[in-house]
Amino acid sequence: MFLITDLIALLAANLILTQALGTSTLFIAAGSRKHLLGTALVITIFTTVGSGLAYIVHHLLPEQYADFTLLCYTLIIGVIYVLLLAACYYIGGERFEKYRRYIHISAYNCAVMGTLFTITEKSHMYINYGTLISWVEFGLRAGAGFVIAAFILTAAYRKLNSAKVPSSFRGFPAMLVYLGIISMAIYALK
Amino acid sequence: MNNRRSTVFDGLLGDNTVLSALMVISPVIMCGDTLRNAEALILAFSAITFASVVICSLVPKKLPYAVKIILYAIISSLVYVPVKFLAQEFYPGIITRIGIYFPLLAVNSLIVVQTETKFFRMKKMRMIPSLIFYILGFDIVMLLTAVIRELLAYGTINSRVADLDTLISGLGMPFGGFIFLGLMCGAYRRLRAVFMRRSEERRGSNVSDN
Repeated sequence: MFLITDLIALLAANLILTQALGTSTLFIAAGSRKHLLGTALVITIFTTVGSGLAYIVHHLLPEQYADFTLLCYTLIIGVIYVLLLAACYYIGGERFEKYRRYIHISAYNCAVMGTLFTITEKSHMYINYGTLISWVEFGLRAGAGFVIAAFILTAAYRKLNSAKVPSSFRGFPAMLVYLGIISMAIYALK
Repeated sequence: MNNRRSTVFDGLLGDNTVLSALMVISPVIMCGDTLRNAEALILAFSAITFASVVICSLVPKKLPYAVKIILYAIISSLVYVPVKFLAQEFYPGIITRIGIYFPLLAVNSLIVVQTETKFFRMKKMRMIPSLIFYILGFDIVMLLTAVIRELLAYGTINSRVADLDTLISGLGMPFGGFIFLGLMCGAYRRLRAVFMRRSEERRGSNVSDN
């Protein structure tokens, strides 16, 4: 029962299905299980670590410099981007070439940046987003939300790309309509 | 196989920024439900993207890919600051309503992805008109989406009441945005296929005449 409640909560707070953040990256990831796993893992690292660092920036940056939040978040993502590439280079060895594309795809996309701005916005509205743990947890949940949305899309990916769908609507248009229907169902859950 | 020759107009027609390449779709889905939102987003997107890509073209090409992408994102984040200041002067309430989608315009795919894969492979004289048409591609889709969604969802055009009997309020919601954009993508593809077939037929008949 708790699992179902958690799943519903994850779906209801899903950044892709409720805020359309990272939709095009999702379409790339849903193409194959391998891509899905790689992209989802890297995006989760970006959102989780990024949210933790964003918390620090958010509390150190004076109110009058709020317009520079984007610049600070860009720098945070840049640092994680370089560190991940370096880690992948030293740990991945020969597989570096294969894996680095997931890092390139994930670095500056709406799913990651959107997570940082969403948590910042929520911290202004809700008191329970006042701790580092709550920010990191939100980042982790955003990554998990990406995985769930990608699985939902993967389930129908082949059918939406099959010859049975009219050629004009095959692929992206059908996937957008499909996501819209899922999003409508989630809207009803909220 | 798509053996269509690329032209500077691609971003607008043949390879539309939103409808074909699916770039910058989240503001269209989430905020493209009123004309006022669309105006603010179009002006901000056009200014940020144009200025950023032109400035980014000065970054040395020999730098590693990741370093260049980070520099492009930093440049666009800096360009965002004066644009936001101006937007707050002209559209004070709208910027608050757009919320997180406003800063997200500064890290859009045209700046952080297409610069390396498309624009910076062109000569400057071709890059600038091509960039303008990619920006126009977004602007037109945003405008069209906003007008139709505002009319059908709220029964207004630019906040003025239009005489409409039936409203589809769901079109103003995010799920309505997803579905509407999907339908627009399909219609765009259909039209593109018809135009391409016709132009090929015309080309074929010209060759046979000669």
